[in-house]
Formats: sequence, C-alpha cells, structure tokens
Amino acid sequence: MDYVVAVLLPQLLHGLVFGAALGLLALGLTVIFGLLGVMNFAHGELYMLGAYAGIAVVSLTHSFWLALLVAPLAVGAIGAVTEVTTLRPLYRREPLYGLILTFGLALVFREGARQIWGGDMRRILPPFTGSTPLLGMTYPNYRLFLLAASSVLLLAIWLFFTRTRAGILVRAAVQDAEMLDGLGVNVPRVFTLTFAGSAALAALAGLLLAPVFTVYPQMGVEMILLAFIVVILGGMGSMGGSVIAAFVIGLAQSLLTLWMNPQRVAIAIFAIMIVVLIVRPRGFFGREGVLE
Amino acid sequence: MNRALSWRALIVWALLALLPALPFMSKFYLLLAFDALLFGAIAMSLDLLMGYTGLVSFGHAAFFGLGAYASAVLLERGVLSVWTCLAFAILVVGLYALVVSFFSTARRGIYFALLTLIFAEVVYTFFRYTQTFGGSDGIQGVPPPRLIGEFAIDTPLRNYYMVLVYLGLAYLVCRVLVTSHFGRVLVAIRENEDRARFLGYNVQRYKMAVCMISALLTGVGGALYPGRSAFATPDLMLWTVSGEFIIMVMIGGLGTLAGPVVGGVFFVLLQEKVSSYVDWYFIVIGLVLIFIVLFMPKGLLGIRELLGGRRWRTTA
Repeated sequence: MDYVVAVLLPQLLHGLVFGAALGLLALGLTVIFGLLGVMNFAHGELYMLGAYAGIAVVSLTHSFWLALLVAPLAVGAIGAVTEVTTLRPLYRREPLYGLILTFGLALVFREGARQIWGGDMRRILPPFTGSTPLLGMTYPNYRLFLLAASSVLLLAIWLFFTRTRAGILVRAAVQDAEMLDGLGVNVPRVFTLTFAGSAALAALAGLLLAPVFTVYPQMGVEMILLAFIVVILGGMGSMGGSVIAAFVIGLAQSLLTLWMNPQRVAIAIFAIMIVVLIVRPRGFFGREGVLE
Repeated sequence: MNRALSWRALIVWALLALLPALPFMSKFYLLLAFDALLFGAIAMSLDLLMGYTGLVSFGHAAFFGLGAYASAVLLERGVLSVWTCLAFAILVVGLYALVVSFFSTARRGIYFALLTLIFAEVVYTFFRYTQTFGGSDGIQGVPPPRLIGEFAIDTPLRNYYMVLVYLGLAYLVCRVLVTSHFGRVLVAIRENEDRARFLGYNVQRYKMAVCMISALLTGVGGALYPGRSAFATPDLMLWTVSGEFIIMVMIGGLGTLAGPVVGGVFFVLLQEKVSSYVDWYFIVIGLVLIFIVLFMPKGLLGIRELLGGRRWRTTA
C-alpha cells in the first residue's frame, strides 16, 4: 500500500499530466496531417517557440496568465504566415515535398531561437507553488492545474469540432477538400486558419509544460518524435485516437521508468510504435486503407 | 553497359583525381574535399531510394553511423586493415538494413519515412547510452587504417583518394543499377506501385533490394569516416543528420545520381563557407532547402519531370 501511494500513484498522475499535454501537441499534428497530408516536422519547433514566447512575455509583464494568452496568439500568427508563404504553394504537389519543406522550417525556427535566446537551458517559474494533499500523498498544485487546463482544452477542442460550424468545416476539409471547394467554401483559408490553430495549440502545450520541463532550442526535437508516435498509434488523421494514444504513451512513459532506465523506456516506446506500424499501420482508430 | 559509363562522368572523376595537384589545396581543403565527396556519394546512394523509387528514408544516418562505428570499433581494438573494417561494416550494416528494409518497405510514403526514422532512433539511443561504445562521447582517437601491410591511410591526401575511389565505385554501382531492367522497375514502382504489382513484379522484393543496396553504399561511406576523423560518435546517427542527407539530395535534384553528388558537395561547402562568417548557418541551410522545394523542385541538376500531384489531397 505504501508503494502504491508513494511511488505508483504520483507516477500515474505524472503520466496523465504529460499525456494531456502531449495530446494537445499531437492533436494539432494529426489535424494538419488529415488536411494537408503533411507530417509537420516543424511542429516541435512551434512547441518550443511557445515556451520562449511565454518566457519573453513573462519577463516583460511578470504575468504567466498574460503569457498564456499572448504566446499562442503570437505563434499562431507565425504559423499562419508560414502556411501562406511556404505550404500553400505546395498543395498541388506530392505530400513528401511538404514533409521536406517542414524539415527546412524546423531548422530555421530552431536556429532562430538559438540566436535570439541563446542555447542554454532555461526555467520558468510556475505561477503558483505549493501542493495539495490528494489520496494520501501530496501533489504539486501546478501539475494539477496543468492536468485540468489540458483536459479543459481537449474538451473545448472536441466541442469545437463537433458543435461549431467552423469545426465542422475543418472536418469536412479533412474528408474531401475538393468537394468543400466545390460547395463554395474558401478552402485555402480553412487550411491557413487550421494551421494557425494547430501552431497555437503547440505553443500552448510548450508554455504549459515549460515550468515542469526545461526550455532550450532543441526541446522540440525530442518532443516531436513522441508526438509522431502518438499520431501513428492513434491512427493518422484520427483526432480521438490521438488523444487516447497520447494518454497511453504518457502513462507508458512514466510507468515504465519505474522498472527501466530512461533509454530503455525510449527504446521500448520506439518498439511499440514499430510493432503497431507493422501489425496495424492504421493505429487504434485510423481509417482503413489510409496509406497502407 | 554502354549507357552506364559516360565519358562525362569519367572526365569529371579524372579532374577530381587531379584536384590535389592544385597549389592552394592545403590539408584543410583536402579534408573539406573528403567530406564533400563522401557526403556527395552518400546522397547519391539515398537518391536510389528517394529519386528512383520514391521512398524517402529518414534513417540513413543510422546506416552511416553504424558503418562508422563498425570500423572505429575494430580500429580501436587494433584491427587496422581497412579491408577488414569495410567487410565488418558491410556485415553489420547489412544485417541491420535487412531488418529495417524488410519491415519498412512493406509500407509506403509517410509510413516508410517514419519507420526508417524510428529504427534509426533505436540505434542512436542504443549507442548513445552504451558505455562499451563510449556512450555519448563515442569512440575517440582511433588509429588510421592500413591499406596493405604497413601502408597507413594517415594523410589527408591518402584519405582523399580513398574516398574518390569509393565515390567512383558507388557511382558505377548506382549507374549500372538505374540503367538496368531493375532500375526501370524501380521507376515503375515510383510512378505507380499498384500497376507495377499488377504487371507481376514482386514490388516489395524490389524495394527491399534497392533499400539494401542504398544502405550498404551508405554504410561503406560511414566505414571510411573514422579514417579521416579518428572518431565515431552517436551524433553521426541523429535523425537530423538523415534530414541533412535528404537536403543534399533535394539541392542536387531527385533522380539524377550526379545531382545529389553536386548537392552533397554544395551542402558541405556552403556549411563551411557560411559557418566561417556567421554561426547561424543552419538558418541559411534551412532557407536554401525551403527555396529549393518551392522554386526549384528539380534541384540544381534536375532533369526529371516533377512528381505528379493531385489537386487537394484527398484522404485516400
């Protein structure tokens, strides 16, 4: 019982917290994949830019809450500009060109951040400290907030996609962009706004996780691989699948660390993904026949 | 066979062989030329997959790094014959490539790219944390390999000729391959995999074969690397290095063989030139890549028609 409360429970919560944040990241990635057929290699850099933009706002205004509002907007704007200037001309081309292009974007963003903010690790203080007694243990307040905020966001995104006209348009574009175009919808604008939204979500995830992790220019490189794995596990283009897969990976990552050293955990997670890709490439919930 | 060997290629190769005779070719420039030709040859091997078969591998750094580790491990333990090193590298890279290509070629497009990427990450993580192979420091300070008897490949000049021979042989292999019936089947797979299958070709066997050849050529290139640098580190197989190989192919031009060699040379020289002025050369390289994808998708030497694309990508 002591083991459960002292070791297992906190690790379980850590996994949930990380999974929820990972879900935000993967959700944007999977929507972009559904829309443009492009696996966005720059997504990790948008996540990183979110954390840095947050640090910049916090150092100016000393308000984490304001940063939580401004950083996603700023990164969303960067995303929109990027989409219009670089991805839009590639719509008609083979998706692999888009993949290679986003790799170039990632290089520019990563090195740009290193030039502006330097290469060293940074920390950002959580907006509140302290911890709450919970189920016989104490858990940091900020992590509880992180879990709550991410869950609310995931719920809001779900409502957006099911209840609002804009959300339904995005889903329609994922289904069949050509048909939507024929119906008179400005499809390129849908693409741009969706890309901006996915960038803003990545930035939000970056900033929310920043007080828990460290901030450095390469932080996106490691995160993006996990996000790719989540998207594949969930089934490319499946939003619900991505969220579930994010929790699965988050929990797997934090629970496996109890019995293995971190590099073995990394290899175990890679192995899970390889097996899924081989046995069931459409993931948990992907549509049958997608690129198999 | 006539089409495989062109006079132009032979002349370029002969001129490259005369390059060290130029008065300004100091040791520094010779090593730079070594890097340029080595990565050019590796980009060319990747082009077999990317340009001819339409498979984008994001895991070639692992083949390169494994080759480098295979030869560094032997050199470190006193096995100095370059031939033994090469044979061992071919064995190690071959075994790994067999597994990777068997599983990866069963999938197409983005799935192929991600499978190769994740397999490479497994190798990277393994070497990064295995103390037997030096962990994150890798294997440092290995002695130079020997060609025959006591003749060591220990000067930049000897290394340069070593890589030049490798480039020539690799070009010959690739050239023979793409002008053969095998090469035409690869192009058929790129253009329309289903149709190639309906024609009775065992598509996966072809893809596996070309994947193996590309991996082995890259691995041999990797095996030559410790002779020049005296080290093998896990950073050689980071997935961003695979991305750099892809950039070289894109710069040079998909599906041209000679193009990616030019792309590799261009990449190495650009990196060297830009990084001697500013330390943000990755921005320059990223912008060059973006520019080429947007405005010159055929690359510097592209002669091939653009890959056909559909209007809006449907979910099919």
